[in-house]
Amino acid sequence: MTKGVIVRVEGSVVDVAFEQGKLPRIREALTVRAGGRQLVMEAARHVEGNAVRCIMLGGSEGLARGMEVIAEGRTIEVPVGEGTLGRMFNVLGEPIDGGEPVETEERWSIHRSAPSFEEQSPAVELFETGIKVVDLLEPYAKGGKIGLFGGAGVGKTVLIQELIHNIATEHGGYSIFTGVGERSREGNDLWLEMKESGVLNKTALVFGQMNEAPGVRMRTALTGLTMAEYFRDRENKDVLLFIDNIFRFVQAGSEVSTLLGRMPSAVGYQPTLAQEMGSLQERITSTRSGSVTSVQAVYVPADDLTDPAPATTFSHLDATTVLSRRIAEQGIYPAVDPLESTSRILEEDVVGKEHYTIARRVQETLQKYKELQDIIAILGMEELSEEDRLTVARARKMQRFLSQPMHVAEKFTGIPGVYVPLKETLKGFAAILNGEADGLPEAAFFNVGTLDDVYKKAEKLRTGGK
Amino acid sequence: MSRTAYLYAALPPTKEQEERFLAFLKERYHEEFTLEYRESKAYPGGFRLEVGAEVFDWSLSGRFRQLKDALMQAIGESGDIIPLLRTRLDEWTPKAIAEEIGTVISVGDGIAEVSGLEHAEYGEILLFSAGIRGMVLNLKRESVGCILFGDESAVSEGSAVRRTKRRAGMPVGERFLGRVVGALGDPVDGMGEIMAEGYRPVEAPAPGIIDRQPVNKPLETGILAIDSMFPIGRGQRELIIGDRGTGKTAIALDAILNQKDKNVVCIYVAIGQKASSVARLVETLRSHGALDHTVVVNASAGESASLQYIAPYAGCALGEYFMERGRDVLIVYDDLSKHAVAYRALSLLLGRSPGREAYPGDVFYLHSRLLERAAHLSEARGGGSMTALPIVETQGGDVSAYIPTNIISITDGQIFLESSLFFAGQRPAVNVGLSVSRVGGDAQTEAMKRASGTLRLDLAQYREIEVFTQFSSDLDEATRLQLRYGHGLMLLLRQKQGCPIPRHRQVFTLIAALRRVMQDVEPDEIPAFTEELLTYLEHAAPEIAEHIRQEGKLSPEDKARIEALSDQFLSDRKARREG
Repeated sequence: MTKGVIVRVEGSVVDVAFEQGKLPRIREALTVRAGGRQLVMEAARHVEGNAVRCIMLGGSEGLARGMEVIAEGRTIEVPVGEGTLGRMFNVLGEPIDGGEPVETEERWSIHRSAPSFEEQSPAVELFETGIKVVDLLEPYAKGGKIGLFGGAGVGKTVLIQELIHNIATEHGGYSIFTGVGERSREGNDLWLEMKESGVLNKTALVFGQMNEAPGVRMRTALTGLTMAEYFRDRENKDVLLFIDNIFRFVQAGSEVSTLLGRMPSAVGYQPTLAQEMGSLQERITSTRSGSVTSVQAVYVPADDLTDPAPATTFSHLDATTVLSRRIAEQGIYPAVDPLESTSRILEEDVVGKEHYTIARRVQETLQKYKELQDIIAILGMEELSEEDRLTVARARKMQRFLSQPMHVAEKFTGIPGVYVPLKETLKGFAAILNGEADGLPEAAFFNVGTLDDVYKKAEKLRTGGK
Repeated sequence: MSRTAYLYAALPPTKEQEERFLAFLKERYHEEFTLEYRESKAYPGGFRLEVGAEVFDWSLSGRFRQLKDALMQAIGESGDIIPLLRTRLDEWTPKAIAEEIGTVISVGDGIAEVSGLEHAEYGEILLFSAGIRGMVLNLKRESVGCILFGDESAVSEGSAVRRTKRRAGMPVGERFLGRVVGALGDPVDGMGEIMAEGYRPVEAPAPGIIDRQPVNKPLETGILAIDSMFPIGRGQRELIIGDRGTGKTAIALDAILNQKDKNVVCIYVAIGQKASSVARLVETLRSHGALDHTVVVNASAGESASLQYIAPYAGCALGEYFMERGRDVLIVYDDLSKHAVAYRALSLLLGRSPGREAYPGDVFYLHSRLLERAAHLSEARGGGSMTALPIVETQGGDVSAYIPTNIISITDGQIFLESSLFFAGQRPAVNVGLSVSRVGGDAQTEAMKRASGTLRLDLAQYREIEVFTQFSSDLDEATRLQLRYGHGLMLLLRQKQGCPIPRHRQVFTLIAALRRVMQDVEPDEIPAFTEELLTYLEHAAPEIAEHIRQEGKLSPEDKARIEALSDQFLSDRKARREG
């Protein structure tokens, strides 16, 4: 144990001077008492004058120069194992659900290295989510990494919660939910919902929300990930890891970057963006011993997919679901952009010939409609050829059929959610493609589950809904 | 080796005095000292002793200041003030208090660099000459960087700075209701001092996850378009966003007016506004009798960037005071784009590096930590709530700019006002497709929920079809009907400013509209028709109206009855016209 004193404070970054030769190592955790609170900081770099530059994991208010700081020679360690299930933690692994202290056999450091090359296990098996647009166009892989991209308020969190509802409840294994830099209210809602649905006792939750200091938001994802890694590596389990929102991890890094003394890079981000993202993402992977299926929400700042943060994230993922404001504006939820979203397993030998053909034909039709849209806007529908008109009509039906009522959105739409099996999804889109559904009105396809529901809604529309 | 203490006085100390000084220093610092005398005429009737960064001011003025501090502290406490002052005076004796005094190294652009003040805390308030206050934002190895709240021309290089040992804070209390105050809580409405009941730091941690409960009680704005489609619940954060002159403030103002007699404390924080606009707003509140439940916190465009920066946090601290007493609070931040601009100015002046649009990296945190403090507290924490309506101004209708998307990603929804709708006469100019309320549905009264149904999705689809068919001549009957229906709904949602619609009327209107009762009424006649219909329904089913008003409930049978009555009214009207 060594002692140092604070010599400089600037925002979330604090310099602590130690005796010569006794500097704590980088990533070591340091503690300080200020105003009756125990605060933790993490060493980030060594600087001139026998000092370490640290990132505060908490507010800096109340710190003063000359305060004593203690280094115990350890990194941040969090509890791991069965004892974490059913509980809610902060970045330091302390319970924040008002319950008993958590006693586990082991505590793991949140800084670990990624599994080696020989331990990697490539993902190839599709797993069903019950969400039509996902299952059809960008199917998720078991043990794969999934990203949900979207600007503000297009429905990322709703989609991630729907996935939790559809998968975590069916999955049977353990889940870890990590809330990074999102709303505390959502944390509360999720906590209560999980309690109600009974998945809580198979889930560990970790939160470092948007009201917390940047240091906290930078490290929370690691805390959640470490808990998942334990189940994968030590207990050889298949784990679900939800992270909402990985962008906030990057953002927190950029908030402290210049204070640490680095030059800013493109759009003001930290120069170390790619490495930071890489060393986190490489840890989220499936190995020969167990699998981690991760669903990560990725916020897209200013709706700009070329922003360095989302752009860097893309390459780490197996499937990407892109949510678009243009589609949300039409009231189509989930507002997935069917032409921007991709999946590595949408291949004939993984999903089968039928699925593959239908998916590609749906994309072609939608692409054709997109191209025709400009012509329609200028000349009107009348100028189109008979064939193009049919394409447009079918594409518009597909667009609507890609929407579906979601369980977790029931409270604001008033429409009960549906789970659509992949079989039904394929049947429905096949019917639109081969013209079986040409006679049905467009509106019948909006916000329904299966093809049978479309027929029912069409009938209801025909009779005037009374 | 012994340290040196410096003694400033008019006359050199006698041998005996010097020994007493040395004994005092030894007792206090447990070290040996040598005393060095420096002649000074600045301390009549006393002296000044400097030990490192600490100063013992035993001049007349120093002792007076101690007395003043003791009295000011008494004023900060609650209770009857006169006896308190009397005891304080009785108890008071001047003490040898070590004070840290710093010196201004540089000042300019609202920022000062101060040397000394070794123990100054991050976020502490410092007192400059001429009573100007500043807040510590940087602690460097040799100096302290701080922002000034007030006129920097009164601060000069070399002048003294004292610590207050208090964090930046806001006086709070019941008596703030009905008043207009500055960003640090001092009254600016010329109605005299405000007796505070407490003092809260402007920066406070937001309630944790477990301290909250779901948003489940409505906060009605009296605006049909909002209460039906984008309902706001107590403890929600709903952004109001749009270009300039699209009626953003009007919506917030209507929401405040509608809280009259509903026991909701309202706080309006004006950031970087024209002082005259704020004065007009206060006048509107007063004339509607809504000022009594409102506090206005004003940091107008003429104030320094640091005051504009701190104003929303100060307003929030005041709101928390009421929230923690179990009250419901509505707070309006008008507007956060100007707040971001003020913070950008400060950050750049403090030498922090710029990012996107030259805003500093932590501009998201600037707003997230503010808005997260609005919450619906759990019953264990008293069950109070703070609802926040931040306002953001867009440029050219671009909601996907940096600051707007940042704040959209913090709030629980947004009401997007569009200038094209505004000028087309659709007021409030709510864009149905881009507006959303993420939690309000839970908070809607049962009656409203039952009545509003799929209104929002219907309208979003109507807008899409409207655009799609704008060049088409031959529309099929179904599409034509859908367009007509959608158009009628849009007309119904028009509402004048300052005319909140009571809950039962909103419910009646929606039931009739979604039943398509207005389908065949000419567009121009819709307002008059609706008015007649509502009056008719109020007479025909007063008990249902009362039930909705009091309980917010509507049974399926009641709904069916309203539907039947509406149909009846329509056919009577037709008969009247034909007959």
